[in-house]
Amino acid sequence: MNNQHNNNQSMISWMLESILKFFKRFAQRIYHICKKIVCGIVDWFVNFYQRFFKASIPSKISHLVMGYGNLARKQIVKGLLYLFIEIGFLFVMITSPIINSTPIGFKALINFITLGTLEGDIFNPTDNSMLMLLFGVVTLGIISVFFATYFSNIKSSVHLDDVLKSGKKVATFKEDLADLLDSRFHITMLTPAIIGIVTFTLLPTIFMILIAFTNFDSQHPAGQVLFDWVGFQNFKNIFDGQSEISVRFLPVLSWTMIWAFFATFSCYIAGILLALLINKKTIKGKKLWRTVFIMTIAIPQFISLLAVRSILSEYGPINNLLMTVGLVSEPVKFLGTATSVLTARITVIVINLWVGIPFTMLMTSGILMNVPADLYEAATIDGANKRQAFMNITMPYIVFITTPYLITSFVGNITSFNIIYLLTGGAPTVSGGYKAGSTDLLVTWLYKLTIDENEYNVGSVIAILTFILTATGTLIAYRKSKAYKEEETFQ
Amino acid sequence: MKNKLLILLVVFASIVLLTGCSKSDPLTIWVGAESEEFYVEQMATYVANYITENGEDFPYDISVKGVDTGTAAATFLEDSEAGADIFTVAHDNLGKLITGSSSIAPITDTALLAQIQADNPQTFLNVIKGNVGGTEYTFGVPYIAQSLVLYYNKQFINEIQVRTWEGILAVAKTANKQALSLTGTDGFNNSFLLLARNAVTKESSLRLYQDGLIMNNYATGDDTLSVLKWGQRFFSDENGAKRPTDSGWQVELKNEESLSVISGAWHFNAAQAALGSNLGIAVLPTFTITAEDVYGDFTAGTVMQSGTFADAKMFVMKKNSDKADYLQDILTYLSSKEMQEASYDAVANLPAYKNASTEFASMSGTSIEAQLATAQILMFENGIPQPFGFDNKFNFYYYSKGGPELILEILENDGNRFNTDASILAQMLIVENIWRTGNQA
Repeated sequence: MNNQHNNNQSMISWMLESILKFFKRFAQRIYHICKKIVCGIVDWFVNFYQRFFKASIPSKISHLVMGYGNLARKQIVKGLLYLFIEIGFLFVMITSPIINSTPIGFKALINFITLGTLEGDIFNPTDNSMLMLLFGVVTLGIISVFFATYFSNIKSSVHLDDVLKSGKKVATFKEDLADLLDSRFHITMLTPAIIGIVTFTLLPTIFMILIAFTNFDSQHPAGQVLFDWVGFQNFKNIFDGQSEISVRFLPVLSWTMIWAFFATFSCYIAGILLALLINKKTIKGKKLWRTVFIMTIAIPQFISLLAVRSILSEYGPINNLLMTVGLVSEPVKFLGTATSVLTARITVIVINLWVGIPFTMLMTSGILMNVPADLYEAATIDGANKRQAFMNITMPYIVFITTPYLITSFVGNITSFNIIYLLTGGAPTVSGGYKAGSTDLLVTWLYKLTIDENEYNVGSVIAILTFILTATGTLIAYRKSKAYKEEETFQ
Repeated sequence: MKNKLLILLVVFASIVLLTGCSKSDPLTIWVGAESEEFYVEQMATYVANYITENGEDFPYDISVKGVDTGTAAATFLEDSEAGADIFTVAHDNLGKLITGSSSIAPITDTALLAQIQADNPQTFLNVIKGNVGGTEYTFGVPYIAQSLVLYYNKQFINEIQVRTWEGILAVAKTANKQALSLTGTDGFNNSFLLLARNAVTKESSLRLYQDGLIMNNYATGDDTLSVLKWGQRFFSDENGAKRPTDSGWQVELKNEESLSVISGAWHFNAAQAALGSNLGIAVLPTFTITAEDVYGDFTAGTVMQSGTFADAKMFVMKKNSDKADYLQDILTYLSSKEMQEASYDAVANLPAYKNASTEFASMSGTSIEAQLATAQILMFENGIPQPFGFDNKFNFYYYSKGGPELILEILENDGNRFNTDASILAQMLIVENIWRTGNQA
């Protein structure tokens, strides 16, 4: 009795210690990060200050007139480019040109804070809060790009100071261009990609995140009613347990995770089994079998899904067959009209096998063909049987290589839209839920909320939560995987 | 070098010249997808007339584009700047379009206002107006009328049987088919029951945003609840009505699994494709409340007429269009009686003007299109326009906050959850609350 009591006590104290350690480590890490950030900022200003005073007169002037350092050293084109960028930036910021009745530039920064003040009337327009938010983000993007160019201008001028001090020749514009195709080729190649990411991914993402902090919804259509910043109110609404969205959030989230788990692992395991089967020495016509399964990838997924939906419908061929052979007396409802939620859920997971297995099969086939034969020979010499060889060589090899695929596949299934939307449209409906059906995933629900209901703010909150979920899950799973820890093993 | 400069100069001058000479962006008109070709021709005629009357070119090119009218308003609301100068919407979208400071412009032309007032029935006049900033304006010009009708299989159901749901159900039982398929589960599809009225007195206690007031809803009268109880029997009968299956109502009609479907002119082509020459079109049937269905003090044996939402499609104008000076004249032209009649002849759009059925000879024929027109006009007597144009909340609360699903739960009565009068009343009280506040509680 006493022993058990002591054991329990030591267990509790061990747990407490572990928790304390965790928080201690966490706090230390946060402290170090903050320290790094603060030190970094201070260092940056100190360096900037020191560099300014050490710099030549042209470089000092470059702090105010961009490109002066280059122009003074006969780098006319480069200098003019910097100068035009500065003039263009100042022009846009000061004059705030109007696009779609909404200014961009300096005024956009004010609008970014107010999200519009003019309420308009029947004959006059209302400030478009949505465009103001968007242009505010774009203006901040322009400012960021300008500052990047500004510091590049200073760096370039200071570099010329050093070149001149060392008695070297100042590079001409032609030489700079040639350099971009030679030693700085990486910059040439990466620039379009970075511009693309910033324009088409980063800025829209920031815009989307910001919408989560506004009341931009069906009651506040852009250009008709002003909307405003509401802080974390939308996040609170999701978790307050009062609103319909709040009530449906956890069930949808749970089903999303269940779906992602089964959709990923069922395809993964079945794909591996299929690949092992096809790669068996005794199987004839391997290429034919592989081709058959690859054909399912070649057919657009939405066509396959709509075909399957039609096949499984109440008056489709499967039900006809079941009724003809007398297995059922009335049509079985498999999908959106299913009387049982479980039936619909199992059906979509099973259908997902059809579109998901070939990818795993194809990849695993490639892996199986590349397992070093000497490993098996060595195992045979050591007396391993086939099962042992499979469990200790084949499987670890497959799992090691496919772990990143498994993770991306899991994340992909969390955000899988086509399968649910085309097969069930989120149905069967649930009592009490007004848009999220029982097979709706976060992403299909998000689609309905934004596209059908114009509840952009709530949709944005769900999108952010989905992102946090997938990003965190991916990072943790990947960092814990052997593929990450033993990255060098297969190189 | 000089040559190069000269070429550059010529190219630049050509671009400037071309830009200067070309007309500015076109005047855009969005119409229903099925009517695009018709309105392209009519607008070409309009431009030709303009040139004859004014002795000069119409200042803009005119671009007519066919759109899904159901989503035209939504598309316009997402980006009104990119929207059309004139576009077509169902009248119940008015609330969304005039929220706040409105994204569409009111009609101000006195001649057009007079034409609207003179040509349209009062039911439509009531729903094309909206209140912005305390003043009432007319925003839309009705040009197409639509209501629900019954598409049925003439091979099974004759003209007598189609008059009552009981008659259709009896046929369905004999043939072991489904009496009725719905095309959807939304609030439009349950309107044949919810809006049902006494077939003799034409009265119903139902109130739906009456007088444009958000609190003025009532769906718990004895007649409404008796109708729902009748509907429950109809839906729970194995040969009765049912929600749409994954196969789709077209397949059900075509395969003769189902004998009829309730829908509007927008599904006419699909119904015809499914049934071919067996397609029959009729007014929605009546049904009789039995003692089993009676709720409260309602009288058994009362014959009820299935109801409908009576829709008007209307043209509206973009607010602050730079072509505003020309839009109202075009609207006058597009919504004239003659144009509505031509539209009926060309693409079977039911004219919206009052007395069209008596004044317009083409509608009294025996063609299937004429049957469709006649059935719709007769249904107008048993319908109300969707009263959602006054405020964008109305449409949202009625369709999107779960009310239709709760009504369907009563009708389907899964697990016998709605076997008692009290449970039906409780559920309908929730529905009423959703209509008023958007919330169940």
